[in-house]
Amino acid sequence: MVNIALAFVTGLTTGGLSCLAVQGGLLASSLAGQIEKDVQAANLKQRRKKTRRNQKNPVQRTALVQPILAFLAAKLLAYTLMGFLLGAAGQMFQLSPFARAFLQIAIGIYMLGAALRLLNVHPIFRYFVFEPPAFLRRFIRQKAAQSADSLAAPVFLGLLTVFIPCGITQAMMAAALSTANLLEGAALMFAFTLGTSPVFFAVAYFATQLGARLERHFMRIVAVVMLVLGIYAIDTGLTLAGSPVSITRSINTVLAQAGSPPAGFEQMPPGPGMTGALAVDPYADDEGVITINVENTGYDPSVVQAPAEMPLRLRLVSNDVFSCSLVFVIPALNFQAFLKSTGEAWVDIPAQRAGTRMPFACSMGMYTGVIIFN
Amino acid sequence: MKKKILLTVEGMYCSNCCMKLEGIEDHLAGVERAEASYHKGTMTVVYDEAKVSEAAIRAEVKRLGYEVTAAQALQI
Repeated sequence: MVNIALAFVTGLTTGGLSCLAVQGGLLASSLAGQIEKDVQAANLKQRRKKTRRNQKNPVQRTALVQPILAFLAAKLLAYTLMGFLLGAAGQMFQLSPFARAFLQIAIGIYMLGAALRLLNVHPIFRYFVFEPPAFLRRFIRQKAAQSADSLAAPVFLGLLTVFIPCGITQAMMAAALSTANLLEGAALMFAFTLGTSPVFFAVAYFATQLGARLERHFMRIVAVVMLVLGIYAIDTGLTLAGSPVSITRSINTVLAQAGSPPAGFEQMPPGPGMTGALAVDPYADDEGVITINVENTGYDPSVVQAPAEMPLRLRLVSNDVFSCSLVFVIPALNFQAFLKSTGEAWVDIPAQRAGTRMPFACSMGMYTGVIIFN
Repeated sequence: MKKKILLTVEGMYCSNCCMKLEGIEDHLAGVERAEASYHKGTMTVVYDEAKVSEAAIRAEVKRLGYEVTAAQALQI
């Protein structure tokens, strides 16, 4: 849910502007016929009435609403379907946590490259954007010109935008692939594309032509946002891979230690026949139990001290949780599971040597934690 | 006579720019084929010398908002 909300906000802000820069020409082509008809009708009316009333605003703006909405609806449909297919493709390949981490890092590197392209740092970064083949570009352009009069043109061109995704859209498509879930992939692309729609509509409706200088200014903002998102994606990929070197993990660890002290191993009162200070959960045969509460904003505790040299059982407890923290991953054990919104799940942890650190995280590497074996 | 030139074009920043430039084959008489590449920053144009000149093609590219920085004749 967090990722989908983030996708929507990305679309609403920089995604909309980036998409408009790449696909705005298609939208303009689909509206050209309508605008030309309106100008001709207004000029004819002006000549008959011998009045200059409509001279400054010859275009009937209300006539633009339908084709713009048709274009955007078609675009939304096409990208949602694309997200569905990407999610299905990701699901088919059954990515392991390390594979997902690798994909996440690759997405981050791609976004960095795309951002450096927008900033025109070096021509080599131009290859970070997909360039449709010449025959497809010609087909799209000629189709726009031929069917400029009917509502079919905006619908058709809206569907074709899927072949010319902007840089941020391409990054979202990669994210949809990494969800490995067809519904989640579709939801992600739907949310992002929906987010881009208000900017598209507003700019097209008011027929505002961004001057070259203003357009480049917005492109710089888009580039900076992509840089930040790229660094974030690489960082969460490192977290997902269990790397101790990650900004997210460091911040989470500092926050956890600044708040309540790390949870220790459960101290149960010794049962009959048991000796020593350390006891075990009587429901686990000679195995200890670590409990972690899965919450909408992460895991509690996020830093857990556990005894080394003995097998343990990890109990994951969730209660009315709907965030991505439900997709729990322990890279070192190659373990990942989609937990129930409310319920318990158990994970067997083999004996670990003293000093071992076992990171865990959500599937996107956003929420993290670590089990430290002493 | 048919001619083919390779233009180095500054100012492209996406595939929409390619489509915009390639549109000259639709509205500039004498241009038979125009193919732009954002990756390479170039544009190849095949045109009829009798109907349109290289200068006119350069002027049209400039009118669209881009700058031709170099031109090279190619074999058809």
